[in-house]
Amino acid sequence: MRGAPRRGTWRGEPWADRGGVQADTLDLARWQFALTAGGHFLFVSLTIGLATILAVLQTRATLRGARPVHLRMVRFWGQLYVINYAIGIVTGLVMEFQFGMAWAGLGEFGGDVFGASLALETVLAFFVESTFLALWLLGWDRFNKWVHLGVLWVVTLTAYLSAYWILVTNGFLNHPAGHATTSDGTLELADPGALMTNPSTLLAFGHVVAGALLTAALFMAGVSAYHLFRRAGPDEDGFHRRSLRLGVYTALPALFVTVSFGGVQQGRLGEWQPMKLAVLENDTAEIARLQAELAERFGPGDYVPPEALTRGAGMLMMTVFALIMFPLLVSVVLAAFRRAVHGFRAWHVLLMALVPLPYVAMIAGWVFREAGRQPWVIYGLLRTEDAVSDVPTAQMWVSFGVFVPLFALLVVVNWWLLLRWARRGPQAQAPGAEDRIALAGPERREPSWS
Amino acid sequence: MELTAALLLGLFFAGYFLLGGADIGLGMLLPYLGRDRAERDLVAAGFWPMFLANEVWLVAAAGVFIGCFPHLEGELFSGLLLVLVPVIAGWMIRDAGIWWRRQVPSAGDALIFVGSWLLALGWGWAVASLLSEHHDAPAPFAVGAPTAAAVALLFMTHGMGYAALRLTGRPFQRARMMAGHRAGGNSFALTSVVMAAMPVLAGAGLPLTEHAAGEESLRLLVPVLIAVLPLLIAAQAWLWRTFGGRAEPTDRAYF
Repeated sequence: MRGAPRRGTWRGEPWADRGGVQADTLDLARWQFALTAGGHFLFVSLTIGLATILAVLQTRATLRGARPVHLRMVRFWGQLYVINYAIGIVTGLVMEFQFGMAWAGLGEFGGDVFGASLALETVLAFFVESTFLALWLLGWDRFNKWVHLGVLWVVTLTAYLSAYWILVTNGFLNHPAGHATTSDGTLELADPGALMTNPSTLLAFGHVVAGALLTAALFMAGVSAYHLFRRAGPDEDGFHRRSLRLGVYTALPALFVTVSFGGVQQGRLGEWQPMKLAVLENDTAEIARLQAELAERFGPGDYVPPEALTRGAGMLMMTVFALIMFPLLVSVVLAAFRRAVHGFRAWHVLLMALVPLPYVAMIAGWVFREAGRQPWVIYGLLRTEDAVSDVPTAQMWVSFGVFVPLFALLVVVNWWLLLRWARRGPQAQAPGAEDRIALAGPERREPSWS
Repeated sequence: MELTAALLLGLFFAGYFLLGGADIGLGMLLPYLGRDRAERDLVAAGFWPMFLANEVWLVAAAGVFIGCFPHLEGELFSGLLLVLVPVIAGWMIRDAGIWWRRQVPSAGDALIFVGSWLLALGWGWAVASLLSEHHDAPAPFAVGAPTAAAVALLFMTHGMGYAALRLTGRPFQRARMMAGHRAGGNSFALTSVVMAAMPVLAGAGLPLTEHAAGEESLRLLVPVLIAVLPLLIAAQAWLWRTFGGRAEPTDRAYF
């Protein structure tokens, strides 16, 4: 790379003259990123939501007057959280490396701006999150219970921080702000404040974080409903009843916050990405008008995103909202009655059926957001086809052929493990911490904590 | 500013090779140090819980790379795609093994072993590529293969010293025999220096300062990174102080 081309050129070619990368390379790179990011998103949405509930649960368990059941709840849901977290890390790394491996043009053109938020995410958020998760995992009997609680709160808050910085990056790609164009045509950071307070970022953050909480809350309600449905044992200390109620009572507000942020985002869409809105509303006249307008502004080209996919994803997300809302409204009422919580088996089945729905909505919403901004990778500034790395198609096939099956395997096995642990229930939990407590002797911790 | 950014990048990569490298070496030695399931439980206990905090240095290194040197990062990562694919695949496989081995012990051990070797050989090939004339193309076989083998050996030695410091029982005795009778301390100190120096030396030839991000980006990133660095190190030191002693078998996993 010594004697490499100067900034603003691509392997010696000025930006405008950069020859087209082979179509297969582009398609492979897009599929690979879509599957990686989609898979990652499935895990982090549960992780962020569950971390939040877990932090609240452990706070409750740490307070004066807590009962043993509170601590058991932290243990059981914490177990599921950790199983899920593992794959979040692995998939996240693949995504991070793909920016450079498959989308070098993106870094070359706009890395000055969005690279900053990615760097801050890794160092300020993820590094701390991972280190503190390690402290929390095996810290049960090593730390004072308040310190241990503080450690979990750090994990939770850095998870939010991580989501924020990633959405700073994503918000910039969807609605560029805080940048300036350099003399050689690439972008540079001009106003960090504008980048960090990009409304596209902040609205998406509220939407996604509340969606994550909804995912975790319905997961919790569904798993608890499964155990109450099976009536495997008497729910003596109210473990499942409490978990089910917590899930249901969290899900409803989370749903409304999610939808509110979604509504506000849609309101701004006409201004930020009018084409996406026109496609969602299937307004052919408007689509044609915008296509002509964009072609005049940016030169000839197809400025209409894949219509069926974008519209279908958008409609699916809203349909799922309705499918969740009505059962949830009923559930909030039913959850107030102890007899219903323990004995209304049809309702248990309904709650179990709700578990996958937030995932469907999350993925559909993400497809709507990302597919709907095509052909742009940085809206109005850089086309997706110009962002892909200039690597031979065969190499992209190697990368695709290795990562996609590996990913699929990780996802399937991990879900199998997650469901297996969820099915076993809290009685069968044997986290390492309990062995250690037996070994460490009573003097090393407060009795109420073990 | 550019130079400070380059030093920070070197620091994060050095941290990864030093700390993450110890886990990789341990994984490479898993079947040698642990001859049956019970012994391998003792070896695998050595990963917990530090590997989470060790491998995250690479995540941070890649983040600093894309933030401070986005142009170079793209050229290098896309050029070295064929070398990075086994590295990342190795990471995924190794991590899956560490997380899953309590549920599926034999498969978990195989994943840890294969993944660790892939990681070590892949990094070796990456080092060879960085040191050769064209940084952004995989080194040819004649250079890449021997370098990868040598680097893998280094990872293994590093892992051996780490095992002598952290393991117990028979695996500990085997590691101590290999690492020397001074309980591993000395060989680990030596390999630590070499491991940390390796990525720095390999990357020293890169035109980093010429290809840094724009002024405003660096003015944002570099002070923030420097400000949080002591906190990051303090958190890691706390973790090592708490759990860095001998890994008891019950430490093996959370689940």
